[in-house]
Amino acid sequence: MIEHAGHLPGLSREALRWREVSHHAWGESAIIALPELDEAQAAALCTHVRGNARTRLKQMPVARIAAAIDATIARLLDRTHPLRRKAEHLLPIVTGYDRETVRLGLTGYLKTFRRPQLLRFLAEDFANPAMLDGFQPTPKGGYLCAHGPDLLLHVWAGNVPALSLWSLICGLLVKAGSIGKLASAEPLTASWFASLLAEIDPEIGECLAITWWKGGEAAAEPVFLREADTVMAYGGNDTLTALRAKLPITTRFLPHGHKIGFGVIGREALDSRKAPALARLAAHDVARYEQQGCYSPQLLFVERGGRVAPAEFARHVAQELAALAPHHPRRALSQGEAASIATWRGAQEICAMEGAAELLGEPSDSWSVVHVETPEALSPTGLNRTLKLVALDSLDDVPALVAPQRSFLQTAGVAAAPERLFRLAQQLGEIGVSRIAPLGRMTAPEAGWHHDGRFSLLDLVTLTEIEQSAEAAAEGFAPYVD
Amino acid sequence: MTQAEIIEALLAFIALPDASEAEFEAMALKVFAYQFRNNEPYRRFALQRGRTPLSVRRWRDIPAVPITAFKDLTLSCSPPEQAERVFMTSGTTQGVRGRSYHPTLAVWKRSMLRNFRKRFMRGRERLRMGILFPDETELPNSSLATYLSLAKRECGTPDSETFINATGLDLDRLLPALERAEASGEPYALLGASYSFVPVLDALAASGRRFALPEGSLILDTGGFKGQSRELGPDEFYDGLAAAFGVPRSSCINMYGMTELSSQLYDDGNAVCPSVKSGPHWIRSRVVDPLTGVDLPEGERGVIVHHDLAHFNCVSAILTEDAGEIVPGGFKLLGRVDGEDSKGCSVAVAEFLAAARG
Repeated sequence: MIEHAGHLPGLSREALRWREVSHHAWGESAIIALPELDEAQAAALCTHVRGNARTRLKQMPVARIAAAIDATIARLLDRTHPLRRKAEHLLPIVTGYDRETVRLGLTGYLKTFRRPQLLRFLAEDFANPAMLDGFQPTPKGGYLCAHGPDLLLHVWAGNVPALSLWSLICGLLVKAGSIGKLASAEPLTASWFASLLAEIDPEIGECLAITWWKGGEAAAEPVFLREADTVMAYGGNDTLTALRAKLPITTRFLPHGHKIGFGVIGREALDSRKAPALARLAAHDVARYEQQGCYSPQLLFVERGGRVAPAEFARHVAQELAALAPHHPRRALSQGEAASIATWRGAQEICAMEGAAELLGEPSDSWSVVHVETPEALSPTGLNRTLKLVALDSLDDVPALVAPQRSFLQTAGVAAAPERLFRLAQQLGEIGVSRIAPLGRMTAPEAGWHHDGRFSLLDLVTLTEIEQSAEAAAEGFAPYVD
Repeated sequence: MTQAEIIEALLAFIALPDASEAEFEAMALKVFAYQFRNNEPYRRFALQRGRTPLSVRRWRDIPAVPITAFKDLTLSCSPPEQAERVFMTSGTTQGVRGRSYHPTLAVWKRSMLRNFRKRFMRGRERLRMGILFPDETELPNSSLATYLSLAKRECGTPDSETFINATGLDLDRLLPALERAEASGEPYALLGASYSFVPVLDALAASGRRFALPEGSLILDTGGFKGQSRELGPDEFYDGLAAAFGVPRSSCINMYGMTELSSQLYDDGNAVCPSVKSGPHWIRSRVVDPLTGVDLPEGERGVIVHHDLAHFNCVSAILTEDAGEIVPGGFKLLGRVDGEDSKGCSVAVAEFLAAARG
């Protein structure tokens, strides 16, 4: 069976070229067909989406869009719905993540897009979300109205299931005509979401498209990059740099680069009762999506002075990772991924030879934990369940150890008492950390979070302001003027 | 065994016409026992892996040290300050170079010469040589400079010359030398780092010059391009050599060596790339799964491990960063083993280092 990815209103499936990609994991295989548009088809798609967004989406109240998204998400949350069943079947094969990780991850993520969360999301960015529907009075006087771009291009990357829904839904909420470029490592969820949404509200379905092209090579790429008003892109710095260089200067570019997450554990969290539970939460954050997420922890700073010493805590984490392995087996690794782990482990082993590190886990285990007693700056591990723990005398040392990586910072998982949580958050915020989460929730941001510290909706819109004096001046021209 | 005893045993082993698996194994276990006793960091490494001379029975179980360890650790069975020679890698990690300590070059030289005569000279006593690399007096810490100087001294004719010195490539001497070689009808050998050939190829192409060196002439390149010249694909490179010097690709031999070894590996020409590489009877190469270190079956791509008995003073078993696969008659070298970027949106080491470099 071939699963066709994409959602291409105005184009017929038969008229398109399809590239078939086969995926294998967990003893099963699947063939995914990705659409490849030529220049004319790309231009037609841009015109279709832009035109429909202008005449339809922009005329709708935002409440109708939120209701349609809510209904779509409700179907995807329903484990008996055929699309949800297909998702649970195909996503593990395509992304390589185990079934339970995919199932739990999908539900946990999708439920952040129900109507109440969408409203919170709107309220987070707009003092008065009605300004998306028309001019609203502002406290300083005058009126404001927010317009999303006519054509918003999403460039997705990575294999974390359903990650694309985040930006896609942001675009819809601000009434942007949207075209999404699928990540070849997870080309399915955005396609299904768009088709389902089109089924529920066919008018909205005409205002978004999901497609694919080979980045940097396809003939269609320049068309999309030229046509888009705003581009929201995910990927490594090389990819983003290349993309930015190709955009007209007038195009708004919203990049989300790769990030490195870390955890901070205060001594007050390290007693014999709390430490094992905390270790389980940390292991969960590490195992979920195999540290592929921007929010995934790669290193934990652990404070000395608690009843459980950092070295002992490292063993707890190792134990929990070992316990997770049977139920959540690690993805099959590529040669390059295995080499990354081997190189990292090799380097840790060399440190261990000098007595500077303790390496837990055998090479044949699906996880590795290394514990060091000397302060060390934040740096990436080998990913795929490889974690470093660094013992510190005081959490006050943490900011200096992560500050050099400012451009890569985003999420910090913190286990500390309230007063210290706030002090640390202040220090970390100053050096670029944009999200403080508890351990166990690092990979599951709250609805309405500020991705990379930005306003996800506000960054997309342009405000039109009627100045108070303009309104006053208009009074002079009113038919009822005396 | 003392150092003198192990050196004597190795010289005798190298002098053997060949070695069976059992003979190699017996010698490998002796060398491991010697290194385990005298090389402190290596002993800790082996203990960490649970491998000691008492528990290891097969040479394949002798723990292989990742090549980066030569940068971070002093791997030497004898006091490093008493080394007759220290070879250092050209590549560095954050300014640190990998080092190999040699209390004597006797074993290193014997290993080099015996194998060089067999694989490159092929029975000829001497050849007129042109060397495209600085002399060992200029680069005493370069194993390649020492290798080429030894080749020239022991296997070159008295009129062999070195064409690279502190001021760079001396084309004004090289081109007339090639002309003389062409006219003489005597086979000529051009040896050097792969990247040293590139400016010569470029200069010849720019002036439209081509040579037709006499039949039996040979070319030896080694080490790849290392960012010292532009990168050429193997077919482009060997086609270029064949066209510029009139030496067929089957007579263009690539030597695969490293600072962290005391022996070299060769192919039998590069008519087809990637060529099959192999070493003499005192070195054995394996291809392993990078994570588990388990041997991979023939034809499967993995990471290359070399077990070089001649590298007795440091560590004989090293895990390289080269990808390869075992094939009949040796192994194929398939480039570097590169770690992979994250499949998601987390930062992986490569991107991180790139950013750190700016």
